[in-house]
Amino acid sequence: MAKYLLKRIGQSILTLVIILTLVFIMVRQMPIDGYFENIDKLDEAVIKATLDQMGLNDPILVQLKDFFIDLLHGDLGTSARYSRGVPITQIIAAKAPISIQMGLLSMAVSMLLGIPLGAAMARSKNKFWDKFGTVFIVLVNAVPAAVYYIYLQSYGSLALNVSMLFDESNWVSWILPVFSMSLGSIAYYAMWLRRYMLDEMNKDYVRLARAKGVDSRKITMRHVFRNAFVPMIQYIPTSLLYTVSGSIYIESLYSIPGMGGLLVDVISKQDNPMVQALVMIYSCIGIIGMILGDILMAIIDPRISLNRKEGAR
Amino acid sequence: MDQEPILSVQHLNVKFSLRGKMLHAIRDVSLDLYKGETLAIVGESGSGKSVLTKTFMGLLDANGWIDSGSILYNGRDLAQFKTEKEWLTIRGREIAMVLQDPMTSLNPLKTIGAQIEEALKLHQNLTGPAAHKRMIETLTDVGITEPERRAKQYPHEFSGGMRQRVVIAIAMACNPKILICDEPTTALDVTIQAQILHLIRDLVRKYSLTTVYITHDLGVVANVADRVAVMYAGDIVEIGMAREVFYDARHPYTWALLSSLPQLGVKGEKLFSIQGTPPSLFQEIHGDAFAARNPHALKIDFERRPPMFEVSPTHFARTWLLHPDAPKVEPPPVLKRLRGEEVRV
Repeated sequence: MAKYLLKRIGQSILTLVIILTLVFIMVRQMPIDGYFENIDKLDEAVIKATLDQMGLNDPILVQLKDFFIDLLHGDLGTSARYSRGVPITQIIAAKAPISIQMGLLSMAVSMLLGIPLGAAMARSKNKFWDKFGTVFIVLVNAVPAAVYYIYLQSYGSLALNVSMLFDESNWVSWILPVFSMSLGSIAYYAMWLRRYMLDEMNKDYVRLARAKGVDSRKITMRHVFRNAFVPMIQYIPTSLLYTVSGSIYIESLYSIPGMGGLLVDVISKQDNPMVQALVMIYSCIGIIGMILGDILMAIIDPRISLNRKEGAR
Repeated sequence: MDQEPILSVQHLNVKFSLRGKMLHAIRDVSLDLYKGETLAIVGESGSGKSVLTKTFMGLLDANGWIDSGSILYNGRDLAQFKTEKEWLTIRGREIAMVLQDPMTSLNPLKTIGAQIEEALKLHQNLTGPAAHKRMIETLTDVGITEPERRAKQYPHEFSGGMRQRVVIAIAMACNPKILICDEPTTALDVTIQAQILHLIRDLVRKYSLTTVYITHDLGVVANVADRVAVMYAGDIVEIGMAREVFYDARHPYTWALLSSLPQLGVKGEKLFSIQGTPPSLFQEIHGDAFAARNPHALKIDFERRPPMFEVSPTHFARTWLLHPDAPKVEPPPVLKRLRGEEVRV
């Protein structure tokens, strides 16, 4: 297990380095406007001096080396335009908690709603729950998220009698953004769980369990659901990603002071160091999610052997 | 053999609805299963042998139903069972089953021990250490070495033959009266087949079970069966003691089936095979279902379904050739070699 983990983490670090290098180089291709408040009014010489001071006129490999060395010291640089001169780590530290809370909440909500929906769909194939779920899944996937986000925001805030914008101290105003963020994952969980459960139900071991006299409720719970859930496990961390990426739009829609809104903000303000730092953080979340998924799978499924080679014999 | 039927099927008709059409899978089958006997049901794919035994346990697929007839067991008519609750009094507890493919018939995510204990808990009310002890005994019973270590393993750590032993252990843990083996050796290596057949035979003797084998392998039949029922197109066409069906077959389909045994082939010559295909069960069958492929078919074979003619008190065949007025037809000469040949596997 430890060996597998090390190998997996090593691979992930390599992936991360490649992503960071690419992002770094791409950000360097952006216009230099992103480093100044009011470039139009500045003198050529001042611009050059500032760029020199920031090390932006060095050869790209030197810049890259400096960037990675700073990174190892936990230094992401300073913001250029969003709030000039403030260390990026400090800005993010202030914004991250609310995003993480929202992400975890919506993950919990999507599992609590999506998994029972999927199981109900599988049990009542072609009956009410199955049809209801199918309509829901098709709607969520076919209608652009931006459309139903806005509908949810405008009609939802009326129905709940809350302001359209987010107010952290009022728990009612958490409902709409968290629910909006969960919709995609609910559909995702329900769709795949239904499909995996129906797959499992047709397997011989279910037939044998019936033949040995296990009642159908227990078969669904102990055999079918459990086994269908194994391939789902690896998607759970990935679905956290979906909520995170969903949050990019939702946070700006509801003016939530989180990281997703921040990314939209800094891109529109062309704050290059901030963009770079945030992209790095999102990539990290993604990669960690995938490692966690693989590890969870390995723990749950005995057929995946991490350190031994022991085939069927 | 005890002459008391433990299970009695009377005029059973089973139908399926498939893509809007109706399929008549079991056509008026009557069959007595005697206590302690081993009955083999043989027939080609689609002849209804699996469907017939599935009706004993209420395991028909959702699109199939018992149209008429009765299945009497212990004074109750299983054909009238509607709810799962009723069936749970039969499944495992009274009738257990060994399925064809051991590679897929165990839950891949549960340990072998847990899967056996599940049956013990359901049918012998054993839990905790008592269940564990009985589980280990059951594993030893089916010839698994190092049962303590093996019980903690998962199915993928077992070979095909070992898994089939575990499937048999699960069936034995149910403590049934009747054991149905649905092609228990078809998916196994030839070398393992004989071991599994011996194991089942030993267990059947030890626990005095009544056994039904479903197979298309006549070698298996010769090895294990007291009695043989030959099925064709959803009907039993001939039934009798194993030696009667092998050495004194009366139905032309049984003749054809036996003639296609590779053991009877002559080196360098083509093996015998039955011409044509079985009739479609989507249409009502008139007369003898085998008539169209039967070189000895009489005119009446196409018109009226033959009754069961008695050959001996234990041997019956459904063919007009047994009618006193029928012309005398000799079985294919090749069958005479059966007596001299070893049909055993």
